Amino acid sequence: MKARKRERRRYAKPGGETYVFWLFVAGNEPNSSQARGNLARLCEEHIKGRYKIDAVDVLKDAAAAHKNNVLVTPTLILIKPLPKVTVLGNLNDTRQVLAALRLTGDER
Amino acid sequence: MSNQKPPYRELETKMKAAEELIHALRTQQVDAIVGERHIMLVRLKQAEENLKSSRNQLRALAAYLLSARENERAVIARELHDEFGQALTSLHLGLSWISRKLTPGQQPLQEKITSLSATTTSLIRSVKNIASELRPGALDELGLVKTLKSEAREFAGHTGIQCRFKTNTAKAKFDRSAAIAIFRIVQAALTNVARHAHASRALIALIKRKNGLILTVMDNGKGITRKLIYSHDSLGITGMRERALALGGTFTLGGSRSKGTILTVQIPLSRVIIGTAP
Repeated sequence: MKARKRERRRYAKPGGETYVFWLFVAGNEPNSSQARGNLARLCEEHIKGRYKIDAVDVLKDAAAAHKNNVLVTPTLILIKPLPKVTVLGNLNDTRQVLAALRLTGDER
Repeated sequence: MSNQKPPYRELETKMKAAEELIHALRTQQVDAIVGERHIMLVRLKQAEENLKSSRNQLRALAAYLLSARENERAVIARELHDEFGQALTSLHLGLSWISRKLTPGQQPLQEKITSLSATTTSLIRSVKNIASELRPGALDELGLVKTLKSEAREFAGHTGIQCRFKTNTAKAKFDRSAAIAIFRIVQAALTNVARHAHASRALIALIKRKNGLILTVMDNGKGITRKLIYSHDSLGITGMRERALALGGTFTLGGSRSKGTILTVQIPLSRVIIGTAP
């Protein structure tokens, strides 16, 4: 029973809830810019109207990075829905990013 | 059992995070590393591209300089041969003419003229050698293969180091600038053999294979150290490498105390062979 619950939570369908992302970037560095663009595109394609992205520029706000244990940029943290997920890199690999963010549930 | 689960999970999560971090760094997807006090921007891609571009620029410059030097050498060789050589020949003929006009009683003058004539002959020979060194006329007249054969023979004559030349390209027609480059590489390699190798035998091989033209110069001397191969002071080696790379080829140099030194240059056939001689 417990296992089934966990499974359901892991692959929650992207319906209803609002997705909150924190994206840690370093100014307009190439990978950071790509991550911004990729995240916006993925959200528009998969959870249109149900997402919120807070971009944190670590060059301006390093304290936020330290507080969230961000070691490198770009780092994407899915804050809501729980559980939290952290994805590193420029988010170019759409398939893997969607899987990590549990957005592939209804395609399975 | 239930007490062991959380630490195990934590470790698993940390391992996964570490793997992701390594992957991001390896695939150059990282822009900045967030430290305790500083944020270090990582611009690997940019730096790599800058380095590549600088290397290409340097290579192009080296190729241009090599070609400019060859042209300059050709001009100096021609001037030396035509102007200086002609003047010396006239001087030699003039001295002979004076010598014939002298009477038996003018013995001291005769001796002086004989001595001057010998000096002039030696000068004419020197000018020819310098001109030939600057611009091997044989390369244009005889072609690369015969010039290399003659170079091997001359090298053996000058140094006493037995030098053989073998090839399977006797009938090939070479691109002019490629022929000059190959000849200069062989010249530089033989100079190194004579100066540094302490060898008793050397071999030059110019072999045509499916994957390119392969030039090998090897000796049975004391070999060469890795440090010397990559030293900035080894201008001769750098020059040979640049000539090979300018032809789109590869250059390798290696050796050991027991095996001597072996230099190999591989050049794409399309860049070097332009046909078959009749």
